[in-house]
Amino acid sequence: MKRPLPIEVRGLRKVFRQTTSGQSVVAIDRLDLTIAPKEVIAIVGQTGCGKSTFFDLMIGLEAPSEGAILIGGKSPYADFDAFRGKIATVFQQDRLLPWRTALDNARLPLELIGVPEAEQRERALAWLNRLGLSQFTSAYPHELSGGMRQRVAIARAFAVEPEILLADEAFGHLDEVTAAELRETFLTLARESGATAILITHQLEEAIAVGDRIAVFGQSAKLLADIHVAGWPQADYAALREAIQLTLQSQRPDPRLAAR
Amino acid sequence: MPLEEHREQVPVLSFPRQTIVSLLVFAVCWEVLSHLSPYLGIPPFAVPSLVKIAQRMVVITPLDVAVTLARVIGALVVSFVLGLAAAMAMYRSKTLDDYLHPMIRILMAVPVVSWILFAVLWFPGVEFRIGFVLFVVCGPVFLVDTLDAMRNVPRELRQMMRSFRPTTLQFFLKLMLPAIVPTIFTSWKVNISLAIRVVTIAELVGAVTGIGHQLSVAQELFSVADVFAWTIVLVALLFLLEGAVARVEHRLLRWRA
Repeated sequence: MKRPLPIEVRGLRKVFRQTTSGQSVVAIDRLDLTIAPKEVIAIVGQTGCGKSTFFDLMIGLEAPSEGAILIGGKSPYADFDAFRGKIATVFQQDRLLPWRTALDNARLPLELIGVPEAEQRERALAWLNRLGLSQFTSAYPHELSGGMRQRVAIARAFAVEPEILLADEAFGHLDEVTAAELRETFLTLARESGATAILITHQLEEAIAVGDRIAVFGQSAKLLADIHVAGWPQADYAALREAIQLTLQSQRPDPRLAAR
Repeated sequence: MPLEEHREQVPVLSFPRQTIVSLLVFAVCWEVLSHLSPYLGIPPFAVPSLVKIAQRMVVITPLDVAVTLARVIGALVVSFVLGLAAAMAMYRSKTLDDYLHPMIRILMAVPVVSWILFAVLWFPGVEFRIGFVLFVVCGPVFLVDTLDAMRNVPRELRQMMRSFRPTTLQFFLKLMLPAIVPTIFTSWKVNISLAIRVVTIAELVGAVTGIGHQLSVAQELFSVADVFAWTIVLVALLFLLEGAVARVEHRLLRWRA
């Protein structure tokens, strides 16, 4: 297993220029955040608060307008190729390639980093087995249910044994039972793999259930609260949920969050 | 976790009853017309009987068919490879796209007859002339179709692929190329039909072999039966090629629901 890297977000700012009006939109405004190796952090915020922009910046698909994201001292954008096989993603939709079987989808990132073919198969099969898909390795995505497709997407992310796992609303489109089951599986696998996991979600229950930490984003990804969930006994989760909700509504940190 | 029901695809080649009936009706009408032509003031050679057409089909020279087929396939392969390469380059470079796109549109607007005249005036070799005409007609179609298909590859899939940091070659081989395969097949089917028609016209000018040349000879001899026979061969050739492409398509696109 690879050694997870610390993540430092310093003064991160991302401004988009609207194509039609030419006006500037500040998606992220001077965000500072540090994520320790092996930490599982949930990022919550309302729709349009800059969560997905943060996700794209973390993957390195977008360049910051100002500031920097540094993963182990390197920028995922400027040092794009340095992160081959180190960052893996699970998206809101499964984003499987429809012409590939479950096995071939799961081994896609391994092909890209040049893992020998026999090892690709072995590793992809192992992850598909762990995710309960051993009977469906040769099925095409259209032959699988939504939950099964998302399992393949998770297997694809874990197969590469990344140092950083990113999930963007990965379970939001599934029914509650499947989502809870997959969330649990994802969390277990993430902890076992020792990767740093960043889970972006708008669902508070999901954030509380998954994260060691919860970063609450306000508009333009302003960090309203940085919550260490361990400081909250399970009996107080309802209060925590309420405090985060109030924080999001008022765009000001709830006093209960600051107290812990 | 049950598999969703797999939907079987429609057979690639089929001859429904309606097709056979309509062809039979046409054949009967033609035969009746050929017998009635003297009474209708139509010269007998203009509407030959089916028997006469069948007799002419027996003496069809396979070499001419093979030559035309080779010209069509050769030109299509070259047009496809170069069209796809140009489309990939234009997809990668907006500057190249900005410069080439107007030229492609102009090329596509030029009538086939003009290309044939240019070919006759510019090139001495018959094969090169025919190849050139087929290439300038079919190449841009392949280019435009594949370029459009590449642009229509869902942003979500491109983002997913890029998140795994592929090389440029991997990006094209693992994502773009498989994603545009359905369009490539459609483009091939369109271009086969186009090429069969264009090659015939191109062979009319200067060629000493091929179906177009034989059609030209038949016209000089006022032999409608021969024109008919060679035309049937051309149509059969077109169906044969389309059928072959459809079979490969069926095999390669099994993943489609």
